Amino acid sequence: MPRWGMVIDLDKCTGCQACVVACRVENNVPFAGSEQAEMGRAIFWIEVLSIVEGEYPNVRTRFIPRPCMQCDHPPCTAVCPTGATYKNDEGLVAQIYPRCIGCRYCTNACPYTVKFFNWFKPQWPAEMRNFNPDVAVRPVGVVEKCTFCHHRLQKAKEQVKIEGRELREEDYVPACVQTCPTKAMYFGDLDDPKSTVAHLAKSTRTFRLLEDLGTEPKVYYLSEGEWYGGRKA
Amino acid sequence: MADARHSHDPDAALFQPILRTGKGFYVTAGALGAVAAWAIFAWLYQLTHGLGATGLGRPIYWGLYITNFVFFIGISHAGTLISAILRLCQAEWRRAITRSAEVITVLVLFFGVGNVLLDLGRPDRALYVIRYGNLRSPLLWDVMSITMYLTASTIYLYLPLIPDIALLRDRVTKRRRLYRLLALGWTGSERQQRRLEVAISIMAILVIPIAVSVHTVVSWVFAMTIQPGWHSTIFGPYFVVGAIFSGIAALIIAMGIIRRAYHLGHYLRLVHFNNLGLLLLAMSLLWFYFTFSEYLTTYYGGEPREMAVFYAKLSGKYAPFFWAMVVTNFVIPLVILSNRRTRTVAGTIVASASVTIGMWLERLTIVVPSLANPRLPYARGLYMPSWVEWSMMAGFFAMFILLYMCFTKVFPIVSIWEIREGREKGLAEAQERIESYLPGGGVVREG
Amino acid sequence: MELDRRDFLKFSTAAFAGMALSGCVLKKLIESDEAEAPWPPGPERWIASVCQQCPGGCGINVRVIDGRAIKIDGLPFHPINRGRLCAVGQAGLQVLYDPDRIKGPMKRIGGRGSSKWQSLSWDEAIQTVAAKLTEIRGRGEPHTVAILAGQPRGLMDRLLARFLEAYGSPNYVRNSCDGTAKAVLLTQGIDTQVGYDLENSNFILSFGYSLLETGWSPVLAHRVYGYLRQERPGAKAKIVQVEPRLSMTAAKADQWIPINPGTDGALALGLAHVIVREGLYDRKFVEEETFGFEDWRDGDGTSHLGFKSVVLKGYRLDEVSTITGVPVETIIRVAKGFAREKPAVAIAERGASMHTNGLYTRMAIHCLNALVGSIDVPGGVVLPPEVPFTSWPPPEGDSIARKGRSMPRIDHAGTALFPLAHHVVSQVPQSILRGDPYPISALFLYYTNPIYSAPEAVGFAKAFEKVPFIVSFSPFMDESTAQADLILPDHTYLERWQDDPVSTVMKSPVLGIRRPVVKPLYDTKHTGDVVLGIAKAMGGKVAAAFAWDDFEGLLKEAAKAIFHDAGGTLFSPPFEEVQIKALGERGWRLPTYKSFDEFWQALVERGGWWEPAYHFSGGHGLFKTASGKFEFYSLHLRRTLERAAAGKPVDELLKKLGVAARGDRAFLPHYEPPRFIGEEKDYPFHLNTYKPATYAGSRGASQPHLQEIAGIPVGLKWDSWVEVNPKVAKQLGIVDGDWVWVESPLGKFKTQARLYPGAMPNVVNMPMGQGHKAYGRWAQGRGANPNQILGEERDGLAGFVAWYATRVRLSKA
Ligand SMILES: Nc1nc2c(c(=O)[nH]1)N[C@H]1C(S)=C(S)[C@@H](COP(=O)(O)OP(=O)(O)OC[C@H]3O[C@@H](n4cnc5c(=O)[nH]c(N)nc54)[C@H](O)[C@@H]3O)O[C@H]1N2
Ligand SMILES: Nc1nc2c(c(=O)[nH]1)N[C@H]1C(S)=C(S)[C@@H](COP(=O)(O)OP(=O)(O)OC[C@H]3O[C@@H](n4cnc5c(=O)[nH]c(N)nc54)[C@H](O)[C@@H]3O)O[C@H]1N2
Ligand code: SF4
Ligand code: SF4
Ligand code: SF4
Ligand code: SF4
Ligand code: SF4
Ligand SMILES: [Mo]
Repeated sequence: MPRWGMVIDLDKCTGCQACVVACRVENNVPFAGSEQAEMGRAIFWIEVLSIVEGEYPNVRTRFIPRPCMQCDHPPCTAVCPTGATYKNDEGLVAQIYPRCIGCRYCTNACPYTVKFFNWFKPQWPAEMRNFNPDVAVRPVGVVEKCTFCHHRLQKAKEQVKIEGRELREEDYVPACVQTCPTKAMYFGDLDDPKSTVAHLAKSTRTFRLLEDLGTEPKVYYLSEGEWYGGRKA
Repeated sequence: MADARHSHDPDAALFQPILRTGKGFYVTAGALGAVAAWAIFAWLYQLTHGLGATGLGRPIYWGLYITNFVFFIGISHAGTLISAILRLCQAEWRRAITRSAEVITVLVLFFGVGNVLLDLGRPDRALYVIRYGNLRSPLLWDVMSITMYLTASTIYLYLPLIPDIALLRDRVTKRRRLYRLLALGWTGSERQQRRLEVAISIMAILVIPIAVSVHTVVSWVFAMTIQPGWHSTIFGPYFVVGAIFSGIAALIIAMGIIRRAYHLGHYLRLVHFNNLGLLLLAMSLLWFYFTFSEYLTTYYGGEPREMAVFYAKLSGKYAPFFWAMVVTNFVIPLVILSNRRTRTVAGTIVASASVTIGMWLERLTIVVPSLANPRLPYARGLYMPSWVEWSMMAGFFAMFILLYMCFTKVFPIVSIWEIREGREKGLAEAQERIESYLPGGGVVREG
Repeated sequence: MELDRRDFLKFSTAAFAGMALSGCVLKKLIESDEAEAPWPPGPERWIASVCQQCPGGCGINVRVIDGRAIKIDGLPFHPINRGRLCAVGQAGLQVLYDPDRIKGPMKRIGGRGSSKWQSLSWDEAIQTVAAKLTEIRGRGEPHTVAILAGQPRGLMDRLLARFLEAYGSPNYVRNSCDGTAKAVLLTQGIDTQVGYDLENSNFILSFGYSLLETGWSPVLAHRVYGYLRQERPGAKAKIVQVEPRLSMTAAKADQWIPINPGTDGALALGLAHVIVREGLYDRKFVEEETFGFEDWRDGDGTSHLGFKSVVLKGYRLDEVSTITGVPVETIIRVAKGFAREKPAVAIAERGASMHTNGLYTRMAIHCLNALVGSIDVPGGVVLPPEVPFTSWPPPEGDSIARKGRSMPRIDHAGTALFPLAHHVVSQVPQSILRGDPYPISALFLYYTNPIYSAPEAVGFAKAFEKVPFIVSFSPFMDESTAQADLILPDHTYLERWQDDPVSTVMKSPVLGIRRPVVKPLYDTKHTGDVVLGIAKAMGGKVAAAFAWDDFEGLLKEAAKAIFHDAGGTLFSPPFEEVQIKALGERGWRLPTYKSFDEFWQALVERGGWWEPAYHFSGGHGLFKTASGKFEFYSLHLRRTLERAAAGKPVDELLKKLGVAARGDRAFLPHYEPPRFIGEEKDYPFHLNTYKPATYAGSRGASQPHLQEIAGIPVGLKWDSWVEVNPKVAKQLGIVDGDWVWVESPLGKFKTQARLYPGAMPNVVNMPMGQGHKAYGRWAQGRGANPNQILGEERDGLAGFVAWYATRVRLSKA
């Protein structure tokens, strides 16, 4: 089984947020509107954290794009009373919307705060209801998060089957990775020694967010210079 | 309606609430009913609008509802647990208070569970926890232990009620059918009494570990995550202590009200308040001990993420709540209850009111600040509950009080037969028992 | 007991039924109008086109199902973006599906701005315009018709200009945001934007060119950035950002050099001072390829100043440091790095140019490139050839047209007022208000919203009141369109045919073909077709100038030249591309397509054409000056000024233009102290109104996805803000999130303060893009538009609006 993982090179990342918008459009994530956004109800399966440190003129800015870490030891799945969030055989942490009771236990158990709740029935003006048919539109009251664009894997598998060949790395690329204008994001099978991600994950520049929690994230970051092991983040 | 035959009954006062209902009751019930009705409206509003009707957001995903859940479940320890302990210890003074305590448990549990249901994004799928239950989830443990607790508490409330219901069946003209049904053919025969006593003792023993488990498991909902401020090994006992603490406080308040409303000063006497007050004082000290060691270990460890939550509570946005909690849970009860002169009926009630508020604040400062300070940076906001949440909270309190009041109108709130039993047998028994404590007295069985 | 058990059963059955029932009832309540009918996905297509959220020209690949556009992705083989898109490009569907679009032609029936409109048919609408224009022509006043254009990409630009030419007006006035083109004109004699070969640079010195936020092609810049950071083998390129604000670019640069606004010229010349004094400049290049470095004598023996004397005699580092606020050591270090770590390139755009001294500043910066020999070498300034479109013979026009177009321009561009300008949008309102040189009788707005995007002080709103007939082509009800008499809504960029030639951002000319990805949603019409329709309706010589049936046909014909030229390649997979590039570099042309139709079809399907091969000339190829060299001393500038002075002394003209320098210095790059609006003692802060990466000019505010990510670095969404240095804020008693008044001599507004350590103590920064009074439900009434308090100042020579010249003060609201 492949172990899908992502590598984000923070030296390249400019905090442009193309990944953020790409993800929203690809995954039928509605915008929240100003009032709801103010209340912390905007949904971003990937979000760019920005940290500005220091005093003028010695200021340092970091941008950290943060999708779901797709933890190998996810603290979010164990706590789910209905198994609506679980780790599938390919290591992706998935959500079953029709099974979720909306208790938000998983959102609180996730140390990365990357799970989102549908406070309302998702709303789009009639004109904007042009959904990606590969991705379910979530009902009110359930939790959602980055799926590593799992639907793209499904589609790739179907395609590969039709073409009668093996799945290649470029067959399955999440929307955020696909658009990242600096090519700061990489995606692939961490267990395939030939893959770029496997190679980069072993780089000396690599760290993972909150690594000491033992969640074994499958999102790796590359950084330049000192980094507080994700601590400072 | 009063039955003349029994007017000389020394316990006639205990029947009064059932037999006669004054205007005050209707006015209060009406007011509480109105609040409850408003809450139902708020609930419908929330159902149709989604949980967006609350003040919750990211990262503060849990707020008033979960606070109230923990709080109510905590209060539930008033009854069953306390009464069971007192029963097992054969504390004679318990007789007048066990019933009022047990009722609190049974009723309040519904509201505890109700708060969880309120908090669900999809209450329509609530039963999925059974259908798709994931045994690894502490929430499922909660479901199991609370269900068990509710069942056990109901039985435990019901068993000692049976003789009283039989009394009512025999003496009261209204609701005969109901009383007959519930009395289960109680005649008061020796055999029945023996059986009942055995059953009560078994339940009393059973109910203690279940009660302890309930709040332990509630605490584990938090402690089993690795979130700062939650991931603590002492949360289990800490929550249980807090629960008993708040339970006693709630009980004292309930007793105070019953005593006043139904003129039961003879039954609920200073000694009850005094004893419970001392118990409350002990719990306050215990609570302080737990709180202190919880926060000291956090502080001493100095782990930055833990400290973020720590400071949020001690000096940050949540400091007013935190310090108010310390004052209401520790300072006020300590001052009032450690002094015999202030440990009066009124004094204990004031201390209890303080503790009730304090324990609610404790629940709040456990739930919210940890969520408000996630590990990774995020725009942090102060959580302001919405009108829906406040309405639901008010509504739940109102409904609880209303149901409690109704209970007192249907069943005696002080266990009549136990009082009688105390009067008839208790004295002798106690004398015998006390003698057995003393050197030379009674039968000594040494191991 | 029997009875009880039965009762129990009854009870529990009832309870369960109750629960199940309440479950259903609850579900009904919760998912009230759920009916989210699973949408039957029909056939799926991917259509190649071009983004137009900004001038970047990125290729897009749009997923279309059942005629609905679902997702915009990058076009994989497009040479600019290589399958990548920025946030704004990703949000594009919210332009197409904006519920507040204008859904068909409308004419005003209430008073101006009363928002009372009546629909009319396209025929009527076009007839109305044609009749109006014919009437104006009949009066012999065709020159009183003007077009204001904001983003006229490719042939639309030529078509609009040609329309006025054929009709008889010189007044095609276009946004011109580029200081660079003017600097290149003055020094190299080429009147165009240039590109930079950043991929091959080792030292990128940027004067406020916020490449990673805005600029000419944000995605290209991002791609290059990623490449320079971690992909390029060998030593890492150094990026130095000189800017008063810690922009995203500054944040991601190796070094951020905060600079006092408007003083980039002094810094550039200070750097030149070090480079010249230390002899670090490229002697060979300077000697062979430049003019006016040393002092020189002209034909009649008069001696003239050269660049060297100017920088060595002036621009002592302590002075430069005082002016710019940049420490002396920093100047020295950067100068040495720039001169040594070759190839190095100095770049700039609006930040340095949009001040009253912008032109000289921009010249000074560009001269740094010449000093280190970075003109048309790998890693330096490059000039890609233009896309080889079929050129059109000039429209013949009748006598009325000839007379009309010989009239002076309404914006006075190219006159003694703005000798170097081609377009001065900001002059238009004044001219209209004063009737100088004549009143305007009809105004067309294409892709521009000046009432919002120009400083209010410039006076568009008032000027509009004086124009009897205003037509807007916008598909959106923006502030300017709201004042129009007639609205002829264009298709949005995802519904129309258009070429998007980009020839300024990289070494290669790139022609993207924008094609409709969905059928137009509403009764809108391509503005190109409308213009052709109007011309046709007017008949005569006007109609004769336009041989095309529609814009698509016009485009197709223009592309024929590319087919015949047979150079370059259609966008193609890397393997093919490498081959063609290699062949192209050796001068091969490979006609791959048998017929034009075949070529056209492939062009459209692949999304465009480009020329991967580039030949570096080492400089001389790019000099079209009188001296044939790179001119430190701009003969072109001298000639232009002499011509504009029309016999009178040039110094007098300089005075009028607000230039402080006299004599030779006026033709050499130098530092002119900038003029600001507002006194420092009353208005202690410069107001820097930048364009954030997440807005598309004034257009981003109508796109909710962009609104929701707008202020991530300052933690704000759906609103505007002003960035204040934390220490300064403390002195003013302002804390993060406070509402503050931002006040200039022209007015004030309220917005939220954000404490930002990346703000200089004497500068406050504010994003431009919010504060709309119109433009649909998401844009309207949110935040503040800084343009309402900006003053009117300009660079006198080039007519650049001095966007960054207004001073403000802050107070707690
Ligand atoms: N995403 C996006 N891209 C765009 C656009 C957009 O709206 N959104 N607009 C397009 C258009 S029309 C244009 S003209 C280009 C413009 O692209 P740029 O020329 O890069 O211009 P601006 O984005 O306006 O950035 C000006 C920068 O100059 C800085 N600055 C201000 N004053 C000074 C100064 O005195 N000295 C120096 N050194 N810097 C200063 C400001 O901080 C600001 O970051 O971008 C184009 N690209
Ligand atoms: N304070 C401050 N002000 C600035 C700047 C700044 O940095 N600071 N930057 C300036 C710069 S560089 C520029 S270029 C201007 C840009 O400002 P404008 O020239 O106003 O141009 P845009 O904001 O690009 O868009 C203008 C209008 O185009 C219309 N439009 C949108 N889509 C279409 C379409 O498909 N077809 C047609 N026909 N019309 C369409 C919309 O109605 C929109 O209002 O702003 C300037 N204003
Ligand atoms: S990042 Fe959070 S949501 Fe994602 S797998 Fe890990 S714990 Fe679960
Ligand atoms: S919110 Fe849904 S997914 Fe999360 S724990 Fe509860 S039931 Fe599971
Ligand atoms: S992997 Fe897919 S779902 Fe996850 S952040 Fe990227 S685009 Fe969104
Ligand atoms: S798209 Fe790439 S560069 Fe932009 S914020 Fe996301 S990861 Fe960073
Ligand atoms: S850079 Fe400009 S053209 Fe390219 S995707 Fe972004 S908005 Fe579109
Ligand atoms: Mo511009």
